[in-house]
Amino acid sequence: MNYILNNIYKIIPIITLLMIFSGCSFIRGPVYPEIIYNNRQPLISVTYEYGEIELILPLKYDAAIPDNILFKVYAQGDTVHPILSILQESPKDFLAYLPQGVLDIQNKTNIVKIIPQDSNFDPVQVRFKGIRFGRLTLPRKTIKMGQLVVKGKTFLNKNDSIIAGASITLQNFDNIINTTSSNRSGYFQIAIPGEYKYAEHLRIVAGENLIFKPFAKKLDFKESRKKNLNIGLGPSNDLKEPLYMTNKDNVHFRKSPEIGSETLFLLKEGEVISVDRVTPGEYFGFIEVLLEDKKLIQLEGWVNRSDLRLLNFNNIYK
Amino acid sequence: MKLFKNLIFISLAVFLSLKAQIKLDVNTIPNRVNVFLDGVNLGRSPIVNERIKPGLHKFEIKKSGFAPLSYELLVNPAQAVKLDFFLNPIYEVKFKTEEKGLIFEVNGEHRWDVPLVRLELEAGEHFLRVFKIGEIIDEQMITVDEPKRFNYFLQKPLTSD
Repeated sequence: MNYILNNIYKIIPIITLLMIFSGCSFIRGPVYPEIIYNNRQPLISVTYEYGEIELILPLKYDAAIPDNILFKVYAQGDTVHPILSILQESPKDFLAYLPQGVLDIQNKTNIVKIIPQDSNFDPVQVRFKGIRFGRLTLPRKTIKMGQLVVKGKTFLNKNDSIIAGASITLQNFDNIINTTSSNRSGYFQIAIPGEYKYAEHLRIVAGENLIFKPFAKKLDFKESRKKNLNIGLGPSNDLKEPLYMTNKDNVHFRKSPEIGSETLFLLKEGEVISVDRVTPGEYFGFIEVLLEDKKLIQLEGWVNRSDLRLLNFNNIYK
Repeated sequence: MKLFKNLIFISLAVFLSLKAQIKLDVNTIPNRVNVFLDGVNLGRSPIVNERIKPGLHKFEIKKSGFAPLSYELLVNPAQAVKLDFFLNPIYEVKFKTEEKGLIFEVNGEHRWDVPLVRLELEAGEHFLRVFKIGEIIDEQMITVDEPKRFNYFLQKPLTSD
């Protein structure tokens, strides 16, 4: 110790020189040459912000407005599982908010189904291509009342054989709304807009292109928009042969053959008469009359011979 | 006129391409560090109102005094994505022992045999092994959460000043 103290003036310069040449490591120790990582998972926070899709479907109502409408939105072609169902009073615009990313933005596989809660309306749907987010306004969709439909078959009353090509018209007063004709199987289907549902003077007329008196019937769609109606044309099997037909309109069907006898009916062209007795100028026979309760009765009377011609079933078309 | 049409077309194309992308914000702690997205320098954080396309992307951040960060993210189709990166600091640690003839090893790869050494350690836990004459005589976990000075005594838990 005394030695150190006696030689301190020699030791201090040596330590100073050592510190100069070796740097601080002389006191603080050497530095390890690499940074030592532990590969700890860094703390990272990822936050997504998703946008909304504001879907707007303007609606227009034609003639009538249903009380409520059920809207269903389907996406990506999935027509089983709607992504949204909303029942609401019939709106002017259907508005829905959908989460981002639910719609197909490549193709028109997204659907809005509009299901009016009213039997007078048929469901309709709108297909559309989606967007990722933002506002999407679709073209205006018109909500119409469902069509009124009559379907059935045309057949010959005499033997129930099918009549193909019989004309069918639906008329309101005398205005023809739609026309069709029965097909080869005698089947027909005719539809008119739903706005005629409550029309008072709607009727179906069939067989105007046939030699017989056309079939005409008043239609009432208040109960249902669809009707099945099989239409028999021509005389029934109850009228016995020989059969004649009036050859013009306003043929007098009289009570007796005498000149000036009472006229029971004025017959239209095509009315079929089952002739029973013949005089030089008159035919006595029976006509069929359909009562309101659908009962068919026969009435007897006299017709001027020149107003009739023999009925030929081989060609029943005009 | 043709130039005008071209300008409109280019503007429209740029607008549509931007619309197809996702808004990107990046924050880092510490801030003011260069952020690289797929090798392209986006600038210094915080990054605001950048654009990114849906899909796989790689973020890289390097700053002196912090462990480099590399992060791959599969970006979902969204309106915006915000990322916060917390960089892991590196602390200077002094490691001292008065025991003789020991070899120290950290994380299975970094070795020294001097009684006093200065280490740069990433914050967190590190695995310390102590060898004597080729045999493992001690194993411990070192937790680094600030600049420290460790004193090692044979087969005793590390102490710090």
